[in-house]
Amino acid sequence: MLRRSFLKTIPAISLLSSCNHAAANRIRLALNWKPDPQFGGFYAANYKTHGLDVDILPGGAGTPTIQMVGAGSAEFGIVSADELVVARSRGNDVVALFAVFQNNPQGIMAHSARKLNNLGEVMKGGTLAIQKGLPYARLLEKQYGFDKVKVVPSPGGDITAFLSDPNFAQQCFVMSEPLTARHKGADVVVFPVSEIGYNPYTTVLTTSGDFLRKNANAVGKMVASVREGWLGYLNDPGPTNQKMNQLNPSMSAASFAEVAEAQKPLIQTAVPLGSMTKDRWATLIKQLKEVGDIQTTPPAEECFRWL
Amino acid sequence: MNRFKRIFPALLPLLAVIAIAETAVRAGWIRSYLVPAPSSVANAIIESRQELFTALFTTSASALIGFLLSTIIGIAVAVFLSSSKAIQRAFYPYAVFFQTVPIIAIAPLLVIWFGYGMRTVIASAFVVSIFPVIANTLNGILSTDPALRDLFKLYGANTWVTLFKLRFPSALPQILTGLRVASGLAVIGAIVGEFIGGQGLGSVVDVARTQQRVDKVFAAVLLASVLGLALFGLINLISHFTLRRWHASEQS
Repeated sequence: MLRRSFLKTIPAISLLSSCNHAAANRIRLALNWKPDPQFGGFYAANYKTHGLDVDILPGGAGTPTIQMVGAGSAEFGIVSADELVVARSRGNDVVALFAVFQNNPQGIMAHSARKLNNLGEVMKGGTLAIQKGLPYARLLEKQYGFDKVKVVPSPGGDITAFLSDPNFAQQCFVMSEPLTARHKGADVVVFPVSEIGYNPYTTVLTTSGDFLRKNANAVGKMVASVREGWLGYLNDPGPTNQKMNQLNPSMSAASFAEVAEAQKPLIQTAVPLGSMTKDRWATLIKQLKEVGDIQTTPPAEECFRWL
Repeated sequence: MNRFKRIFPALLPLLAVIAIAETAVRAGWIRSYLVPAPSSVANAIIESRQELFTALFTTSASALIGFLLSTIIGIAVAVFLSSSKAIQRAFYPYAVFFQTVPIIAIAPLLVIWFGYGMRTVIASAFVVSIFPVIANTLNGILSTDPALRDLFKLYGANTWVTLFKLRFPSALPQILTGLRVASGLAVIGAIVGEFIGGQGLGSVVDVARTQQRVDKVFAAVLLASVLGLALFGLINLISHFTLRRWHASEQS
């Protein structure tokens, strides 16, 4: 997902060297962050039973997974739906396959003592740490204006500034930073960004149009493995959390369990796991056009393939 | 004509790179979302000129202040270190610390110490640019011609007179070399600071990257390098006026 991007370099150059590597036997899945519960199902999946040999490439701050997928330096990548629409409108032929988060986990957290009731009130004073490049930041600006709030860059997942300043609000994942803040004794209120009607799919499995056309069979197997992986993970996250915890020891075992539980309602909804609809893509495209992130509107049905 | 002959060699690689990049993108060898065509970078500069030049101005101010602080404090520290071998042994290792400090790792702390905005950016520019000033100045001061030092002693010159009339002037070429290195680092430090502290070209790069505007990222990077070049040119100018009468590097 887009946040946590903090000190990104321009990675495009390094992508140039990687030509389109379309070998179906060895498949790379590029994550946009370190192994954590938002990727649980991808780590739980048993790709081998579907005849796939999948390498999961953990990411870091600002890993440009969408460009990696477009350039063929990874066959699959995890992106968010808004990134994908912007990429398509700029000629990067990438296609969404499986949307893990049906509801946008992005939100703004603030201190409860401020007695704020909604996002509009967050914009009425204090400091807001947010990535100004994010579409929802500009939607917020359009709707409420940023003239009364002091907007500063997002510190990624770090909450030191938040804890030390009672008038500090920051962008967050609703199932992540607020839990950390509460553990540190802060009384926190969270406003999901979906409150203003901005609800793109996030943690979306994506491939390039080229790979999809040439390896439709492998893509089908990939989606099937991922679906099974997520079903298994939602059912029993324990063993996979342990595996991910070894790869990412900076997050505690307790946090793994807690986040895995907290994210469930955003993933398991009334619709089938991972599914996407043309309507929701169309709404997103309209919103991105409104904030000026895209000049041309890619057709909604070309953004995703529901296998 | 003479001037053209001097500038031409520097322009040639630039023109070649522009031509190759433009052709490669237009022909579809490189995808435009990975490397933008030079023409689209130029367009981005024109289109967002107000935003970019305001940002350039902010970054210039922070980089320049950070650079001036490193110059003043760096030279002062070097003079202090040069005063005795014991002091050097005691403190020089800590000066090296500034060279190795990963600015990216401590930048978030700078925000907590100095707050969001210009002070953090200046601090970041200062931290990354001070070491070359200290190292080069110290080296310059310590390599004063021993014969001249003896001469000053013979005439009973005190420490301060020796410092200002002999050691400083003879260290000047090295000090200027330190400043040349520091000027580029100050620009880098300022932009890194702006990623975390907000404002300026760093903020423009951050936003443009999130929006997948590679053209605008390159436009901002281009302006940053213009700033670097301008600072470098300024040091060369100072070097020319202070050294031309006596030092080989500015003669011929």
